[in-house]
Amino acid sequence: MKDKIKKIIGKKKIFYCKHLRNIKNKVYENDNKILGIIKSSKNAKVYYNKNKGIELKNLLKNVEIQNVSTDNRFYYNIDFFKTICSPHTVFGNLCIDYSIILENSLEDLKSKLDKSSQEFYENELYTIEAMELLIDRIINKIKNEKIIENISNIKNKKASTLYEALQRILFINMLLWQTNHRLNGLGRLDKILIKYYDNDIKNNIITKREARELIKEFLLELHRFYKIKSNVLLGDTGQIIELGGKNIDGRYECNELTYIFIELMEELKLPDPKVLLRVSKEMPRDLMKVSLKCIQTGIGCPLFANDDVIIDRLKDFGYEEDDVYNYGTSACWEPYLIGKSSAQNNIKSLTFMIPFNDMFEKENLSKVSNTEELLKIYKKYLKNYIEKIIDEIKEVDFEKDTLLSLFIDDCVKNSTDIADGGAKYNDLGLTGVGLANVVNSICNIEEVVFKNKEMSLEELNKIRKENFDDNNELLKRLKNTTNRYGKDNEYVVKIANEIIRFASDVMKDRRNKLGGKYKFGLSSPNYIMASKDFLASFDGRKVGEPFAVHISTDTSDAYTELMEFASKLDYKENRFNGNVVDFFVTPNFINDNFEKFVDFLMLSIKVGFFEMQMNVVSSEKLIEARKNPEKFPNLVVRVWGFSAYFKDLPDEYKDYLIERALKNESSN
Amino acid sequence: MKVVISNVQRFCLKDGPGIRTTVFFKGCNLRCPWCCNPENIKFDIENYEYKEEKGVYGYEISLDDLEKEILKDKEYYENDGGVTFSGGECLLQFNKIEPLLINLKEKGINICVETALTVPTETVDIAMKYVDEFIVDIKILDEKSEHKVNGNVTLYKENVKKLFDNNSKVIFRIPLVPEYTMTKENMKEIIKFLEQYKAEKVEIFKIHRLGEKKYKTLGKEMQEFLEVSNNEIEEMIGKIEDLGIKAEYCNI
Repeated sequence: MKDKIKKIIGKKKIFYCKHLRNIKNKVYENDNKILGIIKSSKNAKVYYNKNKGIELKNLLKNVEIQNVSTDNRFYYNIDFFKTICSPHTVFGNLCIDYSIILENSLEDLKSKLDKSSQEFYENELYTIEAMELLIDRIINKIKNEKIIENISNIKNKKASTLYEALQRILFINMLLWQTNHRLNGLGRLDKILIKYYDNDIKNNIITKREARELIKEFLLELHRFYKIKSNVLLGDTGQIIELGGKNIDGRYECNELTYIFIELMEELKLPDPKVLLRVSKEMPRDLMKVSLKCIQTGIGCPLFANDDVIIDRLKDFGYEEDDVYNYGTSACWEPYLIGKSSAQNNIKSLTFMIPFNDMFEKENLSKVSNTEELLKIYKKYLKNYIEKIIDEIKEVDFEKDTLLSLFIDDCVKNSTDIADGGAKYNDLGLTGVGLANVVNSICNIEEVVFKNKEMSLEELNKIRKENFDDNNELLKRLKNTTNRYGKDNEYVVKIANEIIRFASDVMKDRRNKLGGKYKFGLSSPNYIMASKDFLASFDGRKVGEPFAVHISTDTSDAYTELMEFASKLDYKENRFNGNVVDFFVTPNFINDNFEKFVDFLMLSIKVGFFEMQMNVVSSEKLIEARKNPEKFPNLVVRVWGFSAYFKDLPDEYKDYLIERALKNESSN
Repeated sequence: MKVVISNVQRFCLKDGPGIRTTVFFKGCNLRCPWCCNPENIKFDIENYEYKEEKGVYGYEISLDDLEKEILKDKEYYENDGGVTFSGGECLLQFNKIEPLLINLKEKGINICVETALTVPTETVDIAMKYVDEFIVDIKILDEKSEHKVNGNVTLYKENVKKLFDNNSKVIFRIPLVPEYTMTKENMKEIIKFLEQYKAEKVEIFKIHRLGEKKYKTLGKEMQEFLEVSNNEIEEMIGKIEDLGIKAEYCNI
């Protein structure tokens, strides 16, 4: 593979290009035509210069400028064959403050640079000059007058209309993708765009209908390269738009654009970009209704983030109020302070089952006679495991990033690159997976071994290690015990909270290279990737079967029970890095009970879930689409923090979705 | 005090207003051939063995524990939600569970019952003290056929009258079974009855066969019934609405 890429990019610069490699892998799997172009392309190039600003200049001098037809309203083109060299880890999975480019021209940005650090100054100056250079190249090439005006204004004017504002967001977003950044969030677009919209409407610059059309085209532009933008699976682009939310006075804020974005998502039925709605018990009921209508289409969005829970958690952690109320998320759901933070919120997976299994591999447990003792030993292993992860993270070096440094506070103020700790916050986040499997394992051991004394722990362990072969009866029981994760049951909640509070303690005093803290959450993309080849577990999971998804239940209990459970998990201290309740609903169920389902969602906010998402689809449809994908080319499902076309998913993801849908329906 | 129930089901959206928790009591004095909860006919706990499967219908629960279960979803009972007692015939348990009803009332929990109302009038007197909404079945009103469900039309009518005299909130529910409830004579009686007792709403529904497997586990077979056409449903709704009563078809 390496050799092939060397050939593609020529021998003069043999800096290994991670970006091209990623694209190549992805394209290889998904699109042979593009792969063919990359293979035969002499144009694929990686630019390198010790001065990152000059490097960017060289790149933008050479990226292909696409001619835009007169029908197009925006310029948005990413030349995926050219990029800059990034030997270190590139910051990604975050969201810059796009309002900076709306409220400032490039001239303005230049004027904010001071010379206290010559290196930073030069790098940023060249970076802005590189953007000017690209602007000049675009306006010389394209013919569309309106786009020329909008693009050229970026140089020396603030944005004045909605149309201009949308183009500017696309312009910067395009540059982020062009320069190796992945999982680029969009931020609170309803909030930052409303003044342009209001002004346009007031002054008859555009009609409401035209505004809606513009936003629709904006969304379609963002979706255009979704295959190449995707990270691990197709659809996983991290293009998240946050809408609504409480402001610092405690009032809930939403506006016409909040509704327009959600209605357009419902109309377009695309898996990407995606929407997160910040909810609160103060929010208008009709906004919840519009959201449910969108969810009803099955596209898996909006995901709900509960301000009534999350905001206090962020404040308690030590973030400043102004920043907290402006929170968005990283690519999936990890709360992220927009434009303020270098946080890599999914830097590693915290797989709770690894230390649990380790304990059974390495420890003599024959003398353990109750759950307390078992938990005590588990904690020892969990501590070692977490410390090892954090030590590994400490080894990560980040690539200097002159572009991000312009749009993330306080890099410019501090004259310090984001990779050198210029950002206001520098915390790192882990995403937890498999807690449910650990909790259920402990509950099962308690029941079978310690309470009922049906067999010794060693005997049960032996059966587990043999994958429960010839022990179907026991396996079935272990899958259906009454104390299970997701049940509104004090004992289960107590065990879960004991484990996560302990995990917090282990990491709370550790600091990363940039001085930031560590945090974690209970939702991770890794439920299938981390469980492959993983031994059977006491919760009744066989070898290689997936771990539990986020905060979900493996029974068909009432949704209210799952919500009550989720609201009793303790998200305090550093445990707020994304905690999503995830469940299935059949389309008929919502159709038949629409108003009551709205009640349920509104009341669940009060009950206190952290975040919530759902798949609205019947098992029947999924099974049919698994057999005949060609009949369902547009079927979209929620996978983890993103939605995807069902047909694009690997089989194991399809099967797990079907299994979960069937389980949900078995209660009826 | 302990009672025998088969299930406490949270997040029920069809058993009265709002979001509800439904308690299914074991034991019924009627024998409706279309019954969808055959496991709730006998009053006692029943063990069964069916093919490979062993199981049990029903368990004893103290009133305190039952109250705890009901209160688990308390936060979801805004917008008129609450608890619905069903079964079986839940009213047959009402003298036993009065302490629970008192506690629930004190805590402001909305109480509904699903009942066939063929019960001793004294239990209706108790129920009227606590129940916010009665969901009352209309099954067979034609006295000549009452034996088919082990019914007692006179007692039933007396109880309905009691509720209406008391101004209790009543919703009627009519299962559409061509061979039983939809006979010409019975339909005539039903319309006459609805004219006399104008309930807030009348819900009609087709019976379903989701309980078929439960019949098998109990060593019984669920009877086959004639299909009800959409026309018949519309006709029925029309007839009820002609009386100036709100009618709704429930797709269960």
